[in-house]
Order: sequence, then structure tokens, then C-alpha cells
Amino acid sequence: MNCVEFERVLLEGEHSPEQRAHLDSCSACANLLADFTLISSQAKLLLAADEPSPAVWNALESRLRSEGLIRPAEASPSRRDFFWRWRTAWLVPVAAVLAMVAVVRLHHPASAGDNAAVAKQIKVKAPVTVAVSSDDQQLLNTVNSHRPAQRARYRADLDDANAFIRDAEQAVKSDPNDVYRQQMLINAYEQKEMLYDLAVDHVSEP
Amino acid sequence: MTTAKRLQGDKLTEAEAIERAKQGDAEAFHFLYDLHRRRVYSLCLRMTGNTASAEDLTQEAFLQLFRKIGTFRGESAFSTWLHRMSVNVVLMQLRRKNLPVVSLEETMEGDEEGTVRKEPGAPDERLTGSIDRLQLQRAVDELPPGYRTIFVLHDVEGYEHNEIAGMVGCSIGNSKSQLHKARLKLRDLLRANRAEKAGKR
Repeated sequence: MNCVEFERVLLEGEHSPEQRAHLDSCSACANLLADFTLISSQAKLLLAADEPSPAVWNALESRLRSEGLIRPAEASPSRRDFFWRWRTAWLVPVAAVLAMVAVVRLHHPASAGDNAAVAKQIKVKAPVTVAVSSDDQQLLNTVNSHRPAQRARYRADLDDANAFIRDAEQAVKSDPNDVYRQQMLINAYEQKEMLYDLAVDHVSEP
Repeated sequence: MTTAKRLQGDKLTEAEAIERAKQGDAEAFHFLYDLHRRRVYSLCLRMTGNTASAEDLTQEAFLQLFRKIGTFRGESAFSTWLHRMSVNVVLMQLRRKNLPVVSLEETMEGDEEGTVRKEPGAPDERLTGSIDRLQLQRAVDELPPGYRTIFVLHDVEGYEHNEIAGMVGCSIGNSKSQLHKARLKLRDLLRANRAEKAGKR
């Protein structure tokens, strides 16, 4: 084996008796192999040799937050369970109303309603302060214990949302085929859901 | 004390941090970042030779990882997953900037003749002792980008030629040939560096 052949074998990463015999007789190739071995072993020192500046994490964290991958700390388990239960609970009456609408629509062709009039009918009614449900009461108690100053505002907003739901339900019952009325009912529940979300955010704040 | 250090003090494991990161826990993200930032950044820096690009790519690699962390099922090691993703981010960036991922020299020269020393058999002085890390780092930075990519992936990161061929999009023979050339070039650079230092004394 000559030096050129040795180097080709070396390139392939193979080891042979001929290669070893050549190394015994050629110091140049022996030095080459020793240097390659040294370079490869020292290369491992570069594996985690450098440190990025703190700006990298700051920028990364900012992007994680803006993309919603980092989420705010949640409320305590009991509060979280309560709010979660309510958030899913509102889907039940909406689903029931929409199921009823679907059945009615099978028997009666849809007719377009006067959306403006319906909106007026639903929106003009002033909220009536009535006895709140147990879930609403729990929400108000939680707000009261963390942000007493906010309780009155939450009570008023809850009354408003509940009144909106009642009116929207009434509107859907009077004309179950009207898609606009159905959407209003969903909006009404979403408004109440938003109130619960706001309460979660408020009581979670330090 | 940083958040990550506190978590380490509480003996949070990587697996626990992964599960918490899936729930959007900021501290868990920071813990995972702290655990792997040096290796990812070093890879990016070696491959690009530029600190600003390396920082951008480090951020991008972690961002991609954290976006996909919900799909991590633990079949492979988390570090393997992360570093493979980092390599892909860097390679994609090199391609986007039209920087050669595989050395252009390789395609210009004959695959066989281009790999050997110009004067095989000529007396060579051996690199003695250990190589200073900074010297090696500087020499790697001076390599042509194509050689550098293969050298970093093979000798620094420990990937096999078949893996490199798949990642970079070249043949296994090409990867071996480029690694050989990269080592030859590094040897020349390190020798020149030593000669220069010796001349100054």
C-alpha cells in the first residue's frame, strides 16, 4: 500500500492489516492519522462551549407569550374547577335550544326574519335585578373576597348578561327557525362566559 | 436565584418539565431552555461562524421545538429531538441565504483525486500535545462553509455519515470526502497557527 491508497482507505474509515503495515513504514501517514485522531477528539470540546446572551431567552419568552404557548398561571384548583364547570355548562342549554330548532326546521321551511327588529326586541329590555343562580353567587363571592370594589360592577354585568340570555331564549322560542335569533342566544351565553373569564383573570392577578 | 435554578434545586426532571411545558408553564420552558441552550447555541455558532446569526437561529430552534412540544411522546430522547431540529433550522437558513451546505469545491473536483494530500508521503510535522480549544474554534470558523457543516455534524455533534447524508442531501461518499478534506484543512490551519505563534516568540 502506498500513501495515496492509505489516504483513500482512511477516508472510508476502514482499518486493514495493509494499512497498519503502511503506518509502520511511513511516518508521514502515521502523523496524519495521529493528527486526525487528535482533531476529532478535541472537536468534542466545542459541543457546548459557548453561551448565548440573555437577550435570546428574553426574545424567545416574548414570542412564546405572544403566540400563547406560555399561558398565565391558573387559579387554584377549586376555583379553576368551578369556572371550568360553568364554561362547559352553558353549552348544554344552547345545544338543547339548537336541537329543538333543528327538529322544528325539519317540519317548517326557514323564513328570514327582520334582524334589526329582533335585535331591538332583545336589546331594548333593561336588565332586571333578580336572584342569582348558585354559580353566579359563587362568582360574586370569589370576586368579593379578592376585589371587593369590583363586586357591584360584576353583579350589574351578571344581571345584564342573564337578562340578555333570557330575552334571547324567549326570542328563539318565538321563532325557532330564525338563524339570527339563534346566533343572538349564543352571543348572550358568550357574553356571560366572558364575564367568568374576566373574573378568573382578576382573582388570579397578584 | 433564577427560576430555572430554583426548579433544578427542587429536582425537577426534564420529563416533568416537558409535561409542564405542554401545559404552557413558563418556568418549565425556561428550565428546558437553560438545560440545552449552550449546546444548541454552540452548534449554531459553529455552523454559521457568526454570533448574531447563531442567536437568531437558537431562538428559532427553541421556538420550533416549543411549538411542537405537545407532540413529543418520548419515544426518542428529548435532546436528540431538539438537536436534530436545531440542525434542520441551521441548514434551512444556510440554504435560504444561498450559502453552500455542501462545499462547492466537491462538485468542481474529481471525487477521488480531490481528497488526498497534495504531496502524500512528504515528511509531515505532527501536531503535538492537545489543541487549545480557542485555536480549534478559530480554525473551524475559517473552514469553507461546506466543509465546516460536515465537520461539525460528524466530529462535534457525533452524527454518522448516513445521517449527515440524509440531513444535508448529499451522498455518503460525499460526506466522507468532505470530512476528510475538512480535517486536512484544519490540520493546515492549526499548524500555520502554531508556526505563527512560534515565530512571535
